[in-house]
Amino acid sequence: MDKDIFNHFNQPWLPMTALGIFVTCFIIYVYWTYKKSNKKFYENSSYMPLHDGVKHER
Amino acid sequence: MSSPSAVHRTGRLETYSYDDQIVRMFIVATIIWGAVAMLVGVTIAFQLATWKMNFGLQWITFGRLRPLHTNAAIFAFCGNAMFAGIYYSHQRLLKARLFNDVLSRIHFWGWQAIIVSAALTLPFGITRGKEYAELEWPITIAIAVIWVVFAVNFFGTLIRRRERHIFVAIWFYIATILTVAVLHIVNGLGLPVTIFKSYSVYAGVQDALVQWWYGHNAVAFFLTTPFLGLMYYFVPKAANRPVYSYRLSVVHFWSLVFIYIWAGPHHLLYTTLPEWVQTLGMVFSIALWAPSWGGMINGLMTLRGVWDKVRTDPVLKFMALALTFYGMATFEGPLLSIKSVNSIGHFTDWIPGHVHAGTIGWNYLLIAGILYYMVPKLWNTEIFSKKIANTQFWLATIGLALYYVSMVSAGITQSLMWRAIDVNGKLVYPNFIETVVKIVPMYWVRAFGGTFVFISFLLMTYNLFKTMNQGTIGEIEVFEAYALDDSSLEENAGHHRKLEGLPMVFAVLSLIAILVGSAIEIVPSLLSNQYITKIDAVKPYKPLELLGRDIYLREGCYLCHSQQVRPMAHEVLRYGKNSEAGEFIYDHPFQWGSKRTGPDLARIGGKYPNMWHYRHMINPRDVTPQSIMPIYKWLVEQKLDLSTLTKKLSVMKQLGVPYSDVDIASGVENAQAQAKLISADLMNQGVPKEVEDKELIALIAYLQRMGTDYGSLPVNK
Ligand code: HEC
Repeated sequence: MDKDIFNHFNQPWLPMTALGIFVTCFIIYVYWTYKKSNKKFYENSSYMPLHDGVKHER
Repeated sequence: MSSPSAVHRTGRLETYSYDDQIVRMFIVATIIWGAVAMLVGVTIAFQLATWKMNFGLQWITFGRLRPLHTNAAIFAFCGNAMFAGIYYSHQRLLKARLFNDVLSRIHFWGWQAIIVSAALTLPFGITRGKEYAELEWPITIAIAVIWVVFAVNFFGTLIRRRERHIFVAIWFYIATILTVAVLHIVNGLGLPVTIFKSYSVYAGVQDALVQWWYGHNAVAFFLTTPFLGLMYYFVPKAANRPVYSYRLSVVHFWSLVFIYIWAGPHHLLYTTLPEWVQTLGMVFSIALWAPSWGGMINGLMTLRGVWDKVRTDPVLKFMALALTFYGMATFEGPLLSIKSVNSIGHFTDWIPGHVHAGTIGWNYLLIAGILYYMVPKLWNTEIFSKKIANTQFWLATIGLALYYVSMVSAGITQSLMWRAIDVNGKLVYPNFIETVVKIVPMYWVRAFGGTFVFISFLLMTYNLFKTMNQGTIGEIEVFEAYALDDSSLEENAGHHRKLEGLPMVFAVLSLIAILVGSAIEIVPSLLSNQYITKIDAVKPYKPLELLGRDIYLREGCYLCHSQQVRPMAHEVLRYGKNSEAGEFIYDHPFQWGSKRTGPDLARIGGKYPNMWHYRHMINPRDVTPQSIMPIYKWLVEQKLDLSTLTKKLSVMKQLGVPYSDVDIASGVENAQAQAKLISADLMNQGVPKEVEDKELIALIAYLQRMGTDYGSLPVNK
């Protein structure tokens, strides 16, 4: 038994799938955030914590 | 400082105010529990330096206080701090009052009640025997309920917000709330025996995997993601600077959440966990380097332009150091996940060193910065004394440095001694105790380092209460903002941005991110019963041994002893045959442990006569001079409780342990017969009085059984 206890369960496709899913998602969200047309929006967002002291929004 | 071009908003103006009282309550709780957690931590540090600090009292012995320390530090101190910071920033970032004041109060008092019940049960040895998930099932359920209350309050506020875009800090909070719920429930599953006792539904390898998927992600989603969220709010606030790169923070968020969930198996390298799961854990842990450092850089770079203030402003000072420690701890973590490094670091004091670089260096220091920011704001005053804050800063830094350096050197020293083999292939230090004696001086350094940190915390406590005292709560401020309508949408908003504005869709996406990882990692192993080749020689515990095992759990022996011989030459030489997955299939819960302050016990059965154990448990120094193991003399005074035995056996049967009905019905009789044998043997060896009904007999029965079924098989099959 020893070593081969889990040998029936060596499934290399599992970690490969995991890696695949991650890489795909990574590419998608990096593309999205760094898209030129989104730039201004994200720059504005970085100021959000500084807005909460505003008492009157007019 | 305002953003260059904000969206022009129109529409209906609404007035609102914040519920700051609940934040104040959580702040006070943070300070009180923080002091308690550190006091207990310092106590157990001294207990490791000298066994005398256990005072021979069962309620304060190391094995029972250690879970109290970790639970208090993580759930009471960091938990309350996280709730305070989240409730403060959540309302402000969303321009909305918390959803419901009553829910907030239930959340607060419920959480404090949970902490008190932990403090009232753990010292009595009421525990599930799983690290960081020790609290017994009624408290585990209470935690789930209060967590749901928190979630409802949190998401309710999101729905009523007046700000369309959900700031990245809140994404981190969402990931925290969802993931902690999933982890807590899955790892918490158990079958109750009595109100104070339950058994994990998982056994052996599976229990180990679920436990460390939970344990690691408790670090990730209780001590990291919420605090990164707080960092993204409070660091810009304190520095009065925008986030260095918001785009980086978006990438940071998704990468971290995606990758972290996979890393748990790095706690189980070289164990009987399937190879591919170990590799997966290692690879993802190394990948964590990138998002962790991305986050740290983003935090530190937010301070650009205000470095002069970092020198004088306590808030920024604590935050800058916290981020630095975050960087160091998240550098070390992946390093320790590399298998060859792990083979040295695992089971040693290097790991507590690493952990405290995170919890003291990152969590405590960041919390200190946040408290120094919030308290003056909420009590309308200035910090009482910057000088005290400064002293606190240096004491904490020096204390942590002493802690860290002593632990890393103790860990590496001991590990090298464990593995030293001479030219004849023999262990250079066959006596475990030699390797302990060598590092006891380091335990003293650690204890004093910890004391420094504790004193620094007391200084902060004084400073903050003085600050509160000199300030006033003042009148409730009223704010005015536009209701959320279409004017808040900028023109041509992209899909992803609309999505960022839809909290529920967003929550579902983050949930999917963590569930995919969890499922791939855990589900196959949960189904792996069919893959673990059964070892015929491995049989369920006899009734008395099962009771002994419960005492082993109660006393927290697993906090100093492992039960896992790794497949390495020096371990096999020292302990015997390496462990196999099939050996643990009846272990609800598993007891592999994570730290070898004492030797591995996986093959202890039959190593010594009963009399040796009898004397060792009453006073370890009787048989092993210079031992630092606490005394357990109450075990020979207290009567063994047989009243729940039948129930225990039948619960085990429900969990799949093959006890027959006859086994269960004759359980008590069987236990008494076995106890008589052991007791008779002890009397033969000179024990003066009858001890057959004492707890120690059950513990000895368990110790003598451990590892013998498989261990007694010939080596080459
Ligand atoms: C504070 C850490 C600590 C705790 C808690 C602890 N031990 Fe130990 N234990 C040690 C150390 C150190 C040694 C090695 C020195 C010695 O033999 O006493 C040891 C040795 C042992 C040995 C001898 C192992 C061998 O191979 O020689 C046994 C058996 C043992 N402990 C059982 C227990 C049991 C059972 C409990 C719980 C009731 C327990 N220990 C709790 C630290 C601890």
